[in-house]
Amino acid sequence: MTKHFVRMIFALAGLLAAGASASAHPHVWVTMQGELVYAPDGSVTGVRYNWTFDDMFSAFAIQGLDPKKPGEFSRADLEPLAKENVSSLKEFDYFTFAKANGKKVEMKDPIDYYLDYNTKDTVLTLHFTLPLKTPVKAKELNVEIYDPEYFVDFSFKDVKEPISLVGAPAACKLMVARPKDLSVAPGQQLSEAFFNQLNASENWGAQFANKISVKCP
Amino acid sequence: MRVVSGGRRTDQIAKLGLLVVAMLLVAAVLDDAFAQFGGPRPGTSPVPVGGIVGWLFAMQAEFYRQFSGLIRASKADGSAAWTLMGLSFLYGIFHAAGPGHGKAVISSYLVANEETWVRGVVLSFLSALMQAFVAIAIVGVAAVLLHVSAAKMNSAVNWIETLSYVLIIVVGLRLLWVKGRAFVAALRDLGRPTAAVGAAVTPAHVAHEQHDDHDHHEHDHDHGHDHAHCDHALHDHAPAAQPATCSHGDHDHDHGHSYHDHDHDDASAWGHAHAPEPEELAGPGGWRRGLTAIVAVGLRPCSGAILVLVFALAQGLFWVGAASTFVMGLGTFITVAAIATLAVSARAWAQRIAGAKSSYGTLAMRGIEAGAAVVIIGFGALLLGGYIVNERMVGF
Repeated sequence: MTKHFVRMIFALAGLLAAGASASAHPHVWVTMQGELVYAPDGSVTGVRYNWTFDDMFSAFAIQGLDPKKPGEFSRADLEPLAKENVSSLKEFDYFTFAKANGKKVEMKDPIDYYLDYNTKDTVLTLHFTLPLKTPVKAKELNVEIYDPEYFVDFSFKDVKEPISLVGAPAACKLMVARPKDLSVAPGQQLSEAFFNQLNASENWGAQFANKISVKCP
Repeated sequence: MRVVSGGRRTDQIAKLGLLVVAMLLVAAVLDDAFAQFGGPRPGTSPVPVGGIVGWLFAMQAEFYRQFSGLIRASKADGSAAWTLMGLSFLYGIFHAAGPGHGKAVISSYLVANEETWVRGVVLSFLSALMQAFVAIAIVGVAAVLLHVSAAKMNSAVNWIETLSYVLIIVVGLRLLWVKGRAFVAALRDLGRPTAAVGAAVTPAHVAHEQHDDHDHHEHDHDHGHDHAHCDHALHDHAPAAQPATCSHGDHDHDHGHSYHDHDHDDASAWGHAHAPEPEELAGPGGWRRGLTAIVAVGLRPCSGAILVLVFALAQGLFWVGAASTFVMGLGTFITVAAIATLAVSARAWAQRIAGAKSSYGTLAMRGIEAGAAVVIIGFGALLLGGYIVNERMVGF
């Protein structure tokens, strides 16, 4: 019996190790703003992002760069870094998981990307546009932004409208949900169904997802 | 193995401790599982995960978040540096409970390699120290001396990470080679008829198993074997020369032993099947082997430490980052040592139970050891293949 007990302890320790691997804590913080871009025919064409990194990661990222003016980084200085950022983000699907009418939406490689550096706050902001592989007219569009491993913490910028619609049909309604307090941005109440639907396939990081939902009747 | 040094009360305390730890593990695992599969609970607690795991998680995230502010403040205010050290220590303790940091590998290594508690703690300490040292060395060389970009530093770290996983596999393979053979030998012994000569050896063998938990175990053990060996030798070989050989050092003993195995069959091999082990494990060679494990585990730096170091460097306070990294390592050591203690106690316990049942017990122990070696190889392979997510390295 005791042998079983010992074996059980080992098994549990293993399980814990496996479980713990899912519970990393964030090392990088991203504060974001964004726009959902629509074509004249009412289809969604892409997401335009501004991601501002925390000062620690920003210091790490600009490490070893030699700007023309010390302490100031121009867009040109940061161009190689921006290129590298967007190309390595591909591995993580740009941390953007979208569904249109319940179907997964594929993204293309980012366009119009650049970095800028805020000398006062010593933080980097990455700007890029993520085009949809095929623009889609969606009655219901859900976008979640999160890192499944939760190494990166994403949060919407603390403004009234961290996400906005550009060129969307007038009837479309936008809802935004922050991960922790789960408060609602443009004064709307989110239904239980909204959460249930989004939480169908879950993992650790998804608990910290930022959610965007657009309904176009 | 010798963490419980004899006394019955310490035995009971150890058992009780194991029980408590087991319960904590159950709680943590269940909690973690629920936290993961339950999804967020809308509009409830500010921290989405509860219980032990959630608490650990919240604490370390909380500490980590304060590092950048404290490093900045250290420039003007010395007391901020002290606060930073305190938080770094706590962060190290909490953080090491998460993925990585070699807990699984070190624990399995201790189980497979029949290590003592003291050596387990020393291994934990050295691997944590090495991890801190590697982080400081990488940032020191790459950022301070060579002034390379973050991307180059990342690729260096990735190489080091891969090397560390390969080394883990190597450590596991070597252990499996030793322990697997011992297991096969023990298995073979089960099938052997207990002939008259073999039976004569058995008492010494059993006595050895029962004495396993005592500090003077090795002493007893050597005696038992020397005697058994001498008896055989005297019986079969030139009587005059042998006693001298028997009473002397390890080398002579080994030599005589293999020669012995070779010339006589079944019966004599029975009593000696697990003999190579103490020789292999004790002595300076054991430390050299331990060093490989330390390097394998300690080689992979912690992403958090790298970020803290680079940020401190950017603030012109590299030494603050370096000190913080070492203090974090100290915290990591405490957690890893606690888990190492658990592993060593569990093994000692299994050994005591197995010991009472002679040859089957030996087989069980060799099986556990070989199994632990396989676990190490598995860990290394899964990490290398990216199937187990270790803490991600910085940067994209």
